[in-house]
Amino acid sequence: MAYLSMGEAHRRITEYLNSFSESVFSQDAASLKLLLCFSSNSPSLLSVADSLNLFQDANRLIKQSDKYSQFGEIIVHLFRSLQNYRLGHSFDAYNAYEKAANAFIQEFRNWDSAWALEALYVVAYEIRILAERADRELASSGKPPEKLKGAGSFLMKVFGVLAGKGPKRVGALYVTCQLFKIYFKLGTVHLCRSVIRSIEAVRIFDFEEFPKRDKVTYMYYTGRLEVFNENFPAADHKLSYALTHCNPHSEANIRMILKYLIPVKLSLGILPQDWLLEKYNLVEYRNVVLALKSGDLRLLRAALDEHEDRFLRSGVYLVLEKLELQVYQRLLKKIYIIQKQKDPSKAHQIKLEVIIKALKWLEIDMDSDEVECIVVILIHKNLVKGYFAHKSKVVVLSKQDPFPKLNGKPVGS
Amino acid sequence: MNQAGNTEALLAPPGTIPREAQNFADTNPGPPTVPSTIGSDAQWNIHRVDNGSIQNGFPPNTVYNYQMHTQLPTNEGMNGSTAVGSLTLAPSSAPQDYSAYSTHQNSSADSYGYATTGYTSYYSSYQQQTSHSYSQPIVAYPNTGHPYQPLSSFQNTGSYAAPANYSSTYYNPGDYQTSAGYPTTNYSNQASSQWNEGNYANYSSYQYSNYAPNSAGAYGSVSAPAAPLHYQPQHPQYYGQSHTEVTCAPGTENLSVSATTKLDCHTPVVPGVTRDYSATSQPQQTSAVSWRPEATSFQLPPQQPTTLINGAQESQWNYGASGFTNHQSTAGKPEAYQPFDTTPVYANFQEPQNCVVAGNQGTNLQYHAAHQVPQTNQFPSTLQASQSLDSQRVSKFQIQTNPRIVSNLGSSFVKTEKAGSGTSTASKPAYVSVSLPNPSDKVLSSDASDSALKSGTFPKSLRGYVERTLARCKNDAELSACQGIMKEMITSATADGTLYTRDWDTEPLFPLPSVDEANKVVQYPVSSSTFRSPTRRAKSRWEPLQVEKPQDRLAHVGIPAVNFGGWKKANQRDKMSLGVDSESTEDRVDSMKLSNMEQNVIRSRRPFKRQRIADKPTMMENGNASSDSDKEQSLSSSYSTASSLSNTPEERKRRENRSKRFEKVQGNRTDPYHHLKTKDAGMKNLYTRRATAMVMSKNLDNRGSEAVEDMDWDALTVKGTCQEIEKRYLRLTSAPDPATVRPEDVLEKALAMVQISQKNYLYKCDQLKSIRQDLTVQRIRNGLTVKVYETHARLALEYCDLSEYNQCQSQLKTLYTEGIEGCHMEFSAYSLLCVILHSNNYRDLLSLMSRLPSVAKEDKAVKHALAVRAAVTAGNYIMFFKLYKKAPNLNSYLMDLYVDKMRYMAVCCMSKSYRPNIPVSYISRVLGFACASSANDENEGKEKDGIEECTEWLKAHGACLVTDSNGELQFDAKASSSSLYIPEPEDAVAHGDANLAVDDFLARATS
Repeated sequence: MAYLSMGEAHRRITEYLNSFSESVFSQDAASLKLLLCFSSNSPSLLSVADSLNLFQDANRLIKQSDKYSQFGEIIVHLFRSLQNYRLGHSFDAYNAYEKAANAFIQEFRNWDSAWALEALYVVAYEIRILAERADRELASSGKPPEKLKGAGSFLMKVFGVLAGKGPKRVGALYVTCQLFKIYFKLGTVHLCRSVIRSIEAVRIFDFEEFPKRDKVTYMYYTGRLEVFNENFPAADHKLSYALTHCNPHSEANIRMILKYLIPVKLSLGILPQDWLLEKYNLVEYRNVVLALKSGDLRLLRAALDEHEDRFLRSGVYLVLEKLELQVYQRLLKKIYIIQKQKDPSKAHQIKLEVIIKALKWLEIDMDSDEVECIVVILIHKNLVKGYFAHKSKVVVLSKQDPFPKLNGKPVGS
Repeated sequence: MNQAGNTEALLAPPGTIPREAQNFADTNPGPPTVPSTIGSDAQWNIHRVDNGSIQNGFPPNTVYNYQMHTQLPTNEGMNGSTAVGSLTLAPSSAPQDYSAYSTHQNSSADSYGYATTGYTSYYSSYQQQTSHSYSQPIVAYPNTGHPYQPLSSFQNTGSYAAPANYSSTYYNPGDYQTSAGYPTTNYSNQASSQWNEGNYANYSSYQYSNYAPNSAGAYGSVSAPAAPLHYQPQHPQYYGQSHTEVTCAPGTENLSVSATTKLDCHTPVVPGVTRDYSATSQPQQTSAVSWRPEATSFQLPPQQPTTLINGAQESQWNYGASGFTNHQSTAGKPEAYQPFDTTPVYANFQEPQNCVVAGNQGTNLQYHAAHQVPQTNQFPSTLQASQSLDSQRVSKFQIQTNPRIVSNLGSSFVKTEKAGSGTSTASKPAYVSVSLPNPSDKVLSSDASDSALKSGTFPKSLRGYVERTLARCKNDAELSACQGIMKEMITSATADGTLYTRDWDTEPLFPLPSVDEANKVVQYPVSSSTFRSPTRRAKSRWEPLQVEKPQDRLAHVGIPAVNFGGWKKANQRDKMSLGVDSESTEDRVDSMKLSNMEQNVIRSRRPFKRQRIADKPTMMENGNASSDSDKEQSLSSSYSTASSLSNTPEERKRRENRSKRFEKVQGNRTDPYHHLKTKDAGMKNLYTRRATAMVMSKNLDNRGSEAVEDMDWDALTVKGTCQEIEKRYLRLTSAPDPATVRPEDVLEKALAMVQISQKNYLYKCDQLKSIRQDLTVQRIRNGLTVKVYETHARLALEYCDLSEYNQCQSQLKTLYTEGIEGCHMEFSAYSLLCVILHSNNYRDLLSLMSRLPSVAKEDKAVKHALAVRAAVTAGNYIMFFKLYKKAPNLNSYLMDLYVDKMRYMAVCCMSKSYRPNIPVSYISRVLGFACASSANDENEGKEKDGIEECTEWLKAHGACLVTDSNGELQFDAKASSSSLYIPEPEDAVAHGDANLAVDDFLARATS
């Protein structure tokens, strides 16, 4: 920094100011967004930051010319944010950036065309990133981290600007996705609902007209929401959409989608190929799949236990846990097949004690009441066709398709 | 003393009116006199005196308070008997008068004391106006309106000179804007925008809803401390009664007319007036205009306080003035001065407000009515010679002012009325023919109203109102729609008993309904926005006032009235703080002491838990109300008294804030006044109550954004000195008094006492709450705090008081995260169970589970809770009931609440999966009916009980039971699979536990 002369600093700042007003006047979003994108850490921005820290009187420069001062509200705060950003003061950087962003939104509102959408995207992105950093800074100093929340409400405002009719609506989905990211991070997922409603309920804009990347992101997050709601068919649809439209080369994204799509598919009775799990490094699901194939309840429980933290965090634990019933079904089916090999005429009657014995082999100790209960639930949920005779303690299976496949339908439907 | 008076009054049967009443009557000259300037001045003076005294905390206060409270009871009495009617105007009959008066208020205002408050505010506002530059318009207002205005206020205006003229000026839109002093632009802008933001949006289909938002907004704004301040400086002047001041006031400058002489003003103004008002329907327009500003003014005050205070009020001032003018018209009822008196009480009045806002159509109407009144009446008068004005005013005045008369009318006509409500529609056409009332007509009618009333028809004013309304209709469809609405109004008015007491002359005309909407539930003026097409509405929202239709205006007009309460308060506060009366502070102190004494009384009748309160209306609806009415009254009175306990301005402010917040939080909360009211009106008012609830909820929304909770908690931290172990819980309405707060060591004893106490849950809950309060107030957060909350949470669990439990749980959560030791595991198990069993929210569950530290998973209680979760998600009923039987701590209490669901689910499952049938004994055992875990000897007997219970349960859920060849009862699975259902719980109570019945509580609360 020391090598930076005052004149040089002055020159750089003026250059920045010039390119800012230039890009606005020529409606050049591409160059405007470069000026706003702090987190890119581009050398030119950093040098401006250094210049600002050296040359303290930037505000005077802004006021000097009408060309700059008409964006004074934006630039003054932007400069302050940039200074703080350079110095690592995330909290102050965020606060200033939010002010700048607010002013920017004001301007944006007045621009009839949507030329500045790209720049707005950058602002929305930056505000989230800066808020996350600010929160980290706040948390480390023992203060309540609430900037991300603030960023959320700011983005809601941005969403309000975009969500109406008109050319700017194309940008609404991007902001929505940023909001999703914030809400999921904060755990305030319920806030997503209002945004989703206005995206989906409004017929004035066809969903397909949104940019692809936003659609994929949107479908990914709404799919996750459906997983929370245990609405598996809808989750399957959304996540599958995300998967098929996702850039096939961005493996990280595909992995993220599969992380939710696989449990959903499992619960719909569709098992993944082993190579898929390997390719995308989702081996934590391998034992689950194996258990489903073999009816090995113990394996399932072990797998759940082993990755409990991970599953809980990603929110699929409860989904996987529900696979237990399918494992029981598989177990019963195995017993049925074995019985059929022995004596086809009596195969459709499975004695309760046989099941208990089978479970014992799996080192799962359940008394007859419990096993009976499980069988009753299996019948109730339509995983097994037949009935249970309480007196004789026998499961009487239907002669036709005693173990119906789910075939993409959720259990119990 | 004040409180004492109040309570007394409340308790006293309607017939026996305490001496104070008389006092009151005396102070306020009974028969209304023609407001000759001089005379009016004199009266005004008197009134003023009263006011002052009130503020000082002087006995007169009591009187006033008394008035407010008594209203309701008296009303009852009044309604029931026609006796009041026979009263004469003579002052000697003061007490009775008084009662009549009160009735009038009630009915007209419909607000329990609330109305009064509102008026008060108006009144005060009025004063302020007078003092101001604006004074002219203001004055005019009162005058014009004024037939209704209580003697004092009205006369004042009179003294100021020709009121009519002023009013006209004021009304005249042109004048208004032109006046230099007025920040016209501001007006329009702010009015429209603010207005729209808050309240406008809320105007929905219902009148009620409209109201609610309005009032809410108003109140919120009221709370803004700044508003009141504006006026303060001027009050003194006003009191000084320097007329010159008025003229000199900044506002006056604007109007040349005003500057010269008030009388002179008349003529110039008149033309304007005529223009606007000649048509009956139009007056509202002007009024609306004025209103707008009003609304603005309310909201604005908070921002502007400083300026106002400084006396550089010009711009702000305008707002206030305009607002006030409008109000004044509203105030133009006799009640206006009551509010005065009530000043001390105003603390209470927030609660009352709630009620009012919430639900009373009547009230709402009243307010509107009030607003309009001035307008309609005024116009004719303005047109006429000043003399005629006077006379008219007088006549009106008498009618309105003298409660007795009104009541007379009411009583004599009650029957006809009721009958009439049905026929009203039919009769309306007749009125139509009368069409536009011309000024002279009006005068006549008002003059004649006395006699006319006696003759046994509808009140003349009502007829006039109907005429006015119908005259606006352009075609048959509108006509019939209007009739429908009016029928509704009259019916409801009859139901409230306000038909005769209500001021129909001032009643605002409701907006012309679009025909198809005409049949909707009671439609009142405010709803005008509803009727407009969406586009229209959107437009009008933002556009300046002038373009608006009269109806729209109306809507606005309605609002201000409600708002005024806030102003009043503010005023009062200001006055006090400014020390207008030098003695006031001391006096207040005295009164506070007195009130402290009262406090004891109050405590003994402590308010019940809000839950119960919320239940009350229901109870009443069931017809039980009458038996408890006395208790309720006393309770409610204690409420109100309690809230009026402390008088310092800051406290008031705080209290306002708090009660506002309270309103926000509790949609259901019904206030004491509400109770009284409900009782009053009896079953007739069911619909009102429902509406109340509705409006309440609206309110909630509306206020959500307005919570200003900027208390300085640090300053309120106290060190308790109270040594009593037992203390009843009383929701704080003021800064805690160290003398009633127990220090930590005493609290510890108190906790121990509660733990070993043999008394019932209500008592313990109450004690624990008071302990919690003391802890909070002293900001004690340590092991003891945790212990108290844990104790309370456990207790609440035992009695299934989930709401109380949740309070404790959330507190505990923060306490634990602060690192204070406690039974963390036990309570995380509870919260797990709570989420699993009662909220069934997977996301919450997941986040809870993922946040559990690995240590927690080793804990017995947490393990159990997790196992329960697994059982529930799998639907494994066997597991569930096994876990139920061996639940540690209080887990089983939480599970209790889920048992029924689980059983039903299990039986459904069984009915589908078992064939042909299952023995009931098995079901009984598996679903936890029989407690098989106990010793073998008892086992058999118990099991038998279990089977019986199970049989009954199964039958209640529609199961098919058959007896097999061995005589054993069997559950027929196939037949049951289609017949199962969940029966309606027989003993369902809102709070989930029949043990906590209200009657039980009341019985104890009063003993």
